[in-house]
Amino acid sequence: MGLAYYPGCTLKTKARNLEEPGIASMEVLEFKLEEIPRWNCCGAVYSLAEDDLIHQVAPIRNLIRAKEQGKNKLATLCAFCFNTLKRANLLMRENAEKRNTLNSFMDEEIDYGGEVEVVHLLEVLRDEIGWEALAQKVKLPLRELKIASYYGCTLLRPREIAIDSVENPTILRKFLKALGASPVDFPYATTCCGSYQIISNPGDISEYAWDILGSALRHGAEALVLTCPLCDYNLGRGQKELMKKHSEFKGMPLFYFTQLLALALGLDSQVCHFELNYGSPESLLREKNLLS
Amino acid sequence: MSAKKESKNPAKTAVKEKRQVAAKLIPIYIMGKRYEVPEGLTIMKAIEYAGYRFIRGCGCRGGTCGACGTVYRKPGDYKLQVALACQKTVEPGMYIAQIPFFPANRAQYEFADLTAAPEEVFKLYPELFRCVACNACTKACPQGIEVMDAISALKQGNIAEAARLSFDCIQCGLCTSRCFGELAQYHMFQLARRIYGARILPRAEHLAEMVKTINEGRYDQILDELKHVKEDELKKLYQEREAEPMAAGEDWKPKDTRYL
Amino acid sequence: MSYLGYPDFFEPYIKKVEQTRPARVEKRKKGDEFPFMSLEERQEILKHHPDYKGEGRREIKVGPNKGYRIAHEFVDLLEARSRVDPDKVDLSRIDYETDVLIIGGGGAATIAALIAEENGAQVLTATKLRYGDANTMMAEGGIQAATKGGKDSLYYHYLDVMGGGHFKNDPDIVATFVKQAPDALQWLENLGVMFSKFPDGRLEAMHGGGTCRKRMHYCADLSGLEIMRTVRDEARNRANIKVLEFSPAVELILNEHGQCAGALLYNMETEEYLVARAKAVILATGGAGRLHVQGFMTTNHYGATADGIVLGYRAGVPLAFMHTVQYHPTGVVFPEQIEGWLITERFRSEGSDILNVHGEKFVNEREPRDVESARFIKECLDGKGVPTLTEKVGIWLDSPMLDILHGEGRVRTAFVGKWKVYDRLGIDISKAPMLVYPTLHYQNGGLKDNAECETAVPGLYVAGEITGGLHGENRLMGNSLMDIVVFGRIAGRNAAIFVREKAKEGKLTLEHVERYRKELEEAGIITDRVAPMLLPDYTRPEVKEKQLTVSYLGTLR
Repeated sequence: MGLAYYPGCTLKTKARNLEEPGIASMEVLEFKLEEIPRWNCCGAVYSLAEDDLIHQVAPIRNLIRAKEQGKNKLATLCAFCFNTLKRANLLMRENAEKRNTLNSFMDEEIDYGGEVEVVHLLEVLRDEIGWEALAQKVKLPLRELKIASYYGCTLLRPREIAIDSVENPTILRKFLKALGASPVDFPYATTCCGSYQIISNPGDISEYAWDILGSALRHGAEALVLTCPLCDYNLGRGQKELMKKHSEFKGMPLFYFTQLLALALGLDSQVCHFELNYGSPESLLREKNLLS
Repeated sequence: MSAKKESKNPAKTAVKEKRQVAAKLIPIYIMGKRYEVPEGLTIMKAIEYAGYRFIRGCGCRGGTCGACGTVYRKPGDYKLQVALACQKTVEPGMYIAQIPFFPANRAQYEFADLTAAPEEVFKLYPELFRCVACNACTKACPQGIEVMDAISALKQGNIAEAARLSFDCIQCGLCTSRCFGELAQYHMFQLARRIYGARILPRAEHLAEMVKTINEGRYDQILDELKHVKEDELKKLYQEREAEPMAAGEDWKPKDTRYL
Repeated sequence: MSYLGYPDFFEPYIKKVEQTRPARVEKRKKGDEFPFMSLEERQEILKHHPDYKGEGRREIKVGPNKGYRIAHEFVDLLEARSRVDPDKVDLSRIDYETDVLIIGGGGAATIAALIAEENGAQVLTATKLRYGDANTMMAEGGIQAATKGGKDSLYYHYLDVMGGGHFKNDPDIVATFVKQAPDALQWLENLGVMFSKFPDGRLEAMHGGGTCRKRMHYCADLSGLEIMRTVRDEARNRANIKVLEFSPAVELILNEHGQCAGALLYNMETEEYLVARAKAVILATGGAGRLHVQGFMTTNHYGATADGIVLGYRAGVPLAFMHTVQYHPTGVVFPEQIEGWLITERFRSEGSDILNVHGEKFVNEREPRDVESARFIKECLDGKGVPTLTEKVGIWLDSPMLDILHGEGRVRTAFVGKWKVYDRLGIDISKAPMLVYPTLHYQNGGLKDNAECETAVPGLYVAGEITGGLHGENRLMGNSLMDIVVFGRIAGRNAAIFVREKAKEGKLTLEHVERYRKELEEAGIITDRVAPMLLPDYTRPEVKEKQLTVSYLGTLR
């Protein structure tokens, strides 16, 4: 089965370790991710200013590309892209005045009214494949891998676009279970990683990161699973500094959910591009006999 | 500015007369001022017909140099249109303005030091990420290039795609003049094409081999002899040379290999 | 009403082309070619070439080539006054100071600048239009170099060049040219020029008129654009290359030792004349199509007015091969909006037939350009040209064959530039043929130099279309783009060496200009013509009659 797919810029450069294992895994699951043609940046951040419509143009154009292809669903791997695309889509569905302005501004494009549904790949796994069916496809169960599910913000907030319960999400836990891993619960699962604050306040961000990583560590996690390149950046980048500051911290591998998926489905680990991860996640995987 | 030219030859006069063949006159507005010009002329020739003499805004007159970027509107239409003055035929009521120059930021770089990594482009042109996908650039391209798509490709680190999409770019700067994010797209594309040409496209090994062969002196004697051959003998060699057939494929080999 | 985008008028003529097409395509597929002419037949047909018309030329009465018969349009410029009175120029007030002054802003000039800079020189480039707006930019067909050792060599490239030029070319220059060509091509590859390549990196190559091996390399159908914009981009990276746009040179400046030591520049916008002092000068002002020799339309850019020829000749550099001018066989005659516009020879190289009004072939499409053009003219004189609505005649170039021969979409992808322009005019050239006629394309000759780009004036170097010798009496396709690279590099290097080793400080002088003026006077030439022309004048006589200003106030005319 084919599924229209929006990659996003970062997945083509720094986060190829998010994209490539995702594409390969979905092929094994008989869902071919079909990259939409002529896509552009998702807009990176959803603009909250009421009358700032120009920043809606980028995400909506991508939705138009999907509509042009006759697709009614568009999947993303990156949580941030998911967020901007889905929110822009909602705007087009619900606000007639802005819809008209935007359609009239983009008069070189076909009219768009929110016809395409934006989904995150985790939703596809849950709703179209199902955890049980997924579990059956697992060839290399991630046994004994204690992983904390880290959601961050963009899959869950605001409420209108959440893929799961905003307060108490379980989708990642169920995902990890299906792969045979041991999920670890911790109170900072939905705390913001600091997002784009990293640009103006790099110091503060490493403290945020310690709140999250330290808590996961204390709850027995050996690694973190995440869905967003920005979370990966904020939580990974400062780990060396944190190790110096906090002697009990020996670093914590960060995995994209697609990497774990590919590994569990028995794909060649090369597709996971672990070389793009912070630190050396391979050593943990070798320890657990998940990597030769 | 120039003295009167005396034309001593009849052919030239004939050309001038032909130019005067009566054609229907249509009104156009050059920077808001009305002139009547024959229909069928290009914007460039129409401006000259009106009496202007170009210094700027006119280059190759063949659609490849990008000197004559022009914007215009037609009466009753809110759409801003673009064209190369040397390529576009005038239409009745057109409001025409040329944009012979538009300031654009160009990054300096040492080409020898550049790799094919997408970050090279990001570093030199951080404003790339100011693009909001408004698509004004694409609408402003007289070459019909998908400018915004090529910019998107660059943001995605796909230098090859940006190079291919922008291959027809004549660097007229109309995209830049319209850019909401103040990008100089055409300079970015130039960088992309050079990286693609030198670092991504595979190198021509046969060319490197030939250069080496020449430097080793393989042809020195042959060339020296040829230089001193008498004209009649040279004509003979010329006529005897074996011709590669038009339909020959890449693997064609000549029978005569004495001079290879 | 229209037929395939052409006015109805053309319908019966296009239909004839369509009728003969299937049989012609079959012949092509079998490799069945129209026979080439013998050297004797070529000589015979060349009588129809515009160069051979006696009334088109006259003897020049002054300068190093006194008595040489060349086109009136050139003589008019060489027998003209300087734009300035040399006595009024204050040569002690230097406006620009540099090591190497390069006059021109096209391919040869830019490449020379790069190499001069690499050899340690400060470079100032003075150009008449924008940097890069030049004939190089417009070259479409390709660039020749013998690169495929298994089937080609310098021997064959040499013979092809000589044969194309009717064996009159300067052998030294030709030998240097073919020998340096592959290295020059590799230099361009290193700069990032996007050559059309096979997936393994091999350069695509094809035939051109007069080649015995397929050695025409290319960048789709925009070879010149791609090369020009790449070298210009590189020049813009170099802090020691400065560029003055809209500032053509109007006279060379010599020094008391007889060396070339700069030029008088003209700011076309402020109308000031400015003194640029240099230790060596490279003239690379290109060609002369805008002189419209014998009234022909031209493919050349707006500034192709032979300026450098005038400057060099006045300073004492002789001319070579100026008696021949190249007419490209395939310039557009219809639609008129793009009249004179070049249709690259590659259409023929890839297998488009040349046809008369009956849809018949009458010439092999790959004869050298002068022969091909002369044959077109003869066919039209014989009444077998295709008429147009404005009493002109043309010859068909059957482009739709390429989609049949090489697969649907070939024209659209391999000739995207051409396809787009015709498409805008409502004609799809993958469906309809193109109507063409010879158009003024290239100045075969120019200022005489040697294989080191040296001229009769020490410190004055030349490169590119302004030179005469390499192409003899007729240039082959793909050798002009290579000319600018090979000799642009040599001129740049030698000028930089001259700066270091031979240039002498000395008093600047324009005495040669005064001497030349006296020579004109002695020859009885009294004229108000001034040269260089700088820009052609397309002002209508009706407008001119009303331009009555008695004298100029500043730049207000």
